[in-house]
Amino acid sequence: MRHLRNLWRSVFDVREGEYIRTSFMALYLFFVLFAYYILKPVSRALFLTKFDIDRLPYLYILIACGGGLLAYLYTKVAVRASLTVALTWTTVLSILCLIAIWWMLQFRFPWMLYVFNVWVSLFSIVLVSQGWLIAANVFTAREAKRVYGILGLGAVVGAAFGGTFTSWMTRHVEPRGILLASAGMVGMSYLAFLVVLRQKGVRLTGAKAAEAEDAEFEFADIVKAIGANRHLQVIMGIITLTFIVDVLVEFQFSAMAKASYTTEAALTAFLGSFYGIYLNLVTFVLQFFLTTFVVSRFGVGGTLQIMPVAISITSLMTIFSPSLLSTAAVRLTEAATRYSFNKTGMELLYLPLPMELKNRTKAFVDIFVDRFGRGLGAVVLLLFAQYVVSDPKRPDPRQVSYIVLGFVVIWILLSVNASREYSRTVRKRLESRRLNLEDSRVRVTDSATVKLLEQAAMSPNARQASYALGLLGEAAGYDLAPQLRKLVASPSAEVRSKVFELARAIRFDGLLGEAQAEVPLEAASSGAAVAYLLALSPDREALFARFIDRPSTADAALEALTEQRERARQWLSAAWISAALDSPEAWRRALAATAIGLRGDDVTAPLLRLFEDSDERVVSAACRAAGILGSRACLDSVVQRLAHPCLRGVAIASLARYGARIAGSLGDMLEDDAVSLSIRRQIPRVLKLIPDQRSVDVLLGAIGNKDLTLRAAALKGLNRLREDAPGLNFAGPTVRQQTFAEIKYYFEMNAALAPFRTQDTPQTAASLLARTIKDRLDHTLDRMFRLLGLRYPAKDIYSAYLAVRGIYTGKRNEEHLTAAVEFLDSVVERDLKRVLMPLLDSAERLTEVGRDLLGVDPKDAEAAIRDLIRSGDPWLRACAVAAAAQLQMKPLTREIEDAARGGPPDLARVASDAIAALV
Amino acid sequence: MSELNLVEKVIALEGVELFKALTPDQLARIASIATEVSFAQDKTVIEPDRPMDGLYVVLDGGVALSRNGSELHVARQNDVLGAWALFDNDPMPVTARTVEYTRLLRISREDFYDLLSDNVEVTAAVFSTIVKRFRKMVEA
Repeated sequence: MRHLRNLWRSVFDVREGEYIRTSFMALYLFFVLFAYYILKPVSRALFLTKFDIDRLPYLYILIACGGGLLAYLYTKVAVRASLTVALTWTTVLSILCLIAIWWMLQFRFPWMLYVFNVWVSLFSIVLVSQGWLIAANVFTAREAKRVYGILGLGAVVGAAFGGTFTSWMTRHVEPRGILLASAGMVGMSYLAFLVVLRQKGVRLTGAKAAEAEDAEFEFADIVKAIGANRHLQVIMGIITLTFIVDVLVEFQFSAMAKASYTTEAALTAFLGSFYGIYLNLVTFVLQFFLTTFVVSRFGVGGTLQIMPVAISITSLMTIFSPSLLSTAAVRLTEAATRYSFNKTGMELLYLPLPMELKNRTKAFVDIFVDRFGRGLGAVVLLLFAQYVVSDPKRPDPRQVSYIVLGFVVIWILLSVNASREYSRTVRKRLESRRLNLEDSRVRVTDSATVKLLEQAAMSPNARQASYALGLLGEAAGYDLAPQLRKLVASPSAEVRSKVFELARAIRFDGLLGEAQAEVPLEAASSGAAVAYLLALSPDREALFARFIDRPSTADAALEALTEQRERARQWLSAAWISAALDSPEAWRRALAATAIGLRGDDVTAPLLRLFEDSDERVVSAACRAAGILGSRACLDSVVQRLAHPCLRGVAIASLARYGARIAGSLGDMLEDDAVSLSIRRQIPRVLKLIPDQRSVDVLLGAIGNKDLTLRAAALKGLNRLREDAPGLNFAGPTVRQQTFAEIKYYFEMNAALAPFRTQDTPQTAASLLARTIKDRLDHTLDRMFRLLGLRYPAKDIYSAYLAVRGIYTGKRNEEHLTAAVEFLDSVVERDLKRVLMPLLDSAERLTEVGRDLLGVDPKDAEAAIRDLIRSGDPWLRACAVAAAAQLQMKPLTREIEDAARGGPPDLARVASDAIAALV
Repeated sequence: MSELNLVEKVIALEGVELFKALTPDQLARIASIATEVSFAQDKTVIEPDRPMDGLYVVLDGGVALSRNGSELHVARQNDVLGAWALFDNDPMPVTARTVEYTRLLRISREDFYDLLSDNVEVTAAVFSTIVKRFRKMVEA
């Protein structure tokens, strides 16, 4: 029963709060695929009935070129549009197009069938890819790994239903009429999307309609990368061959289908059943039940060879007995193995490539290589029609099979080569420790990679061996125990440490003797051995008592109990803690603090005493314990440690452990001028580690604080929170108001700087004032863009910031600047854009722009200094006072006297000296 | 002569190469740990066999630097003595002796380290200057 439940969970592991999202996302894909599997057979059947088969290669070329161009243009637009807007528009346009196509088809214009088929190819690319993009934004990476199977099932069932529906409907209405049902399905998919959008935690605000990587590649760069990388050359070769063969096989199948079914309805029904039901179900069975087994049994090379070998077998069948059945078998084999074995094999083939190169290459493949391969296939067919067959309108399927076999032989050789290249690249990546199995979208690990990892785990290079061992631990379904048994004898402490760590993680108790022997060595691996023994030894309690009494093992022993609170309460007696608290040895007092945290007792008084200890290790342990306990009584003691550079890190981590319930208290301190600035500046660093709306609200309250460093710290915290928890609400009216306030401040500072731009005599008060204002401008620009990063896509805003900063630091980059202007122009709302854009495109006329748009009047030197002396920025005031004295601005004496009387001590001192200089 | 105020100290520190990458606000933080010291004529400021424990900026007066009895240079207003002593406490192989009544601004190493530990952005700016200097030396 448990086994069954685990099996069920491994396929359908949907958890509380995910049901509606998952169901309606699956429904979205169901409806889209339903619609597509109406369109695909209808469009192809209408074409084949109307035209002779020799026209089909021209359609392939048109789809490759026209469809490719449209897909590319769509990506360029989509990368800037929000996903929600793009999906709404796509849905509306798809429904309108379908109605228009349905209406136009009644006139039987031949060209309309070309248009229809090209449009259908675009439909599949755009709507299906949008569906998966929504899924990527609706689910986290972890959720995705669990629920994508269900979404895939929704797509398969949708395709099967679409095919069956089409096949059945052709008995009652003409194929053209079914198009309206397809439009209905598109509409239904949109309703499913709307339900998903309304679910708690679903926010697609920042999501784009296409991944940035899809549009961010340079043709020349990729070609250069392919030229320099043999692994990529092999990938490109296999993909090109895959699509050439795909076109040849589809042509062969279509020719036989056309010859067998002469009416539109019959051909539509046949294609509907073939594509929607048989092909989909076979693909589903192969993908779900066989791919994992095949990959782990035969490795990348073997998996990649299955498709060409299977095609060659079915093609031989066609040569011996040409019929609709044999060509359908070739087509079924080709398409089903392409979507299952080949797709997984190719994913694995990409795996060892650097992530950035992988993304760019995939985008290049999706947009160009796919079409290039199909176009090449069509050209091969045209040459075939011209030079090989006697009657192009009735091609012999056996002749097509011969050509297919020719390409398949090259393909098999290339797959063998791919296996070698793959191993070479994995080995290289292992050496540089840059192989990442966890980020892979593939859930299976192939045998060749496992073998390589096993070899690397035996390497004399300790780093590499530990790294490979760690990767083996991540490999799905791998039995790690034999490797652990071997490597526990490694001469490297680092490797042994990894062995005990992994053995503990998988609860393998075959190394207890080795761990006992490891502890007295006091090597780097002893800590891991202690943790392992305390987790798995039958004598763990006695061992713990021994370990806790030695300075070399005590920390590791307590560390091992961190995740075993119940055991900590049993093993750490109150008497032992009490004795340790009074110990003259600092390490024991520190242990006492850690033990208090582990036991979880409410023992405020002893803990507060430890905060006053003269040894930093003890105070540090007390901070940690307070964080674990979440002790309110210790909150102030921990907060005070934020001012201490050596204890700051542990204090921040401890406060973050308290969680969102202390956000209000921290907010009060953040706003309280009586609290030291050195403490207040650290509070945003705590809040940014607590991904909760309360943290966001507290930090938003500080973005207008009069202390500029606090403002900047609050914004940094908010930016980080948005990155870590994009579901929280950042875009309140405060952000908008503060953005305008910062922009206005920028123009004011710019006006104040204008009279001093020529003050370049070094080491004078006036030049210091000019430098200070420039510094304020830089920081204001930084804050402005951080604020924008809370409302718009943060990554794009950061790129725009760099481009704008380039203007003001003399590192102007026209290309980046144009991209920034275009981006901001398209996303920022109109009234904000009006005041923001001049910073980018009118940098030389900022004073005039400030006057015209924000009423910031240009100033002479005296008026500028007067305003600065009256400002709330103490350092800027001090510089302004000193500059007034240097420039002998006697009319400002009254303002300077005010500063001398009411300013902070440093400013008062500068002002007194200035008065003396002016007299 | 009265002691320098914060702005005057910052202006004096602007000439220190080690602090070139610092913003005025960051310089003000360093100025807050800088203290003024004065020496009568012919007093020794730096001795070749004594480890240095800080940096000096000449505010006014003059300090003659000599090695093995031969004078190398006379440091005047805004010149810096022992800039790298903040990171290296080995003695400098020179003698520094005042040639007249001299006022200096002193930053002790201990105070400077305390300040760095509390101001990560100052640390980053100082390191950026050091790295640039090394790069220049390597590329020269």
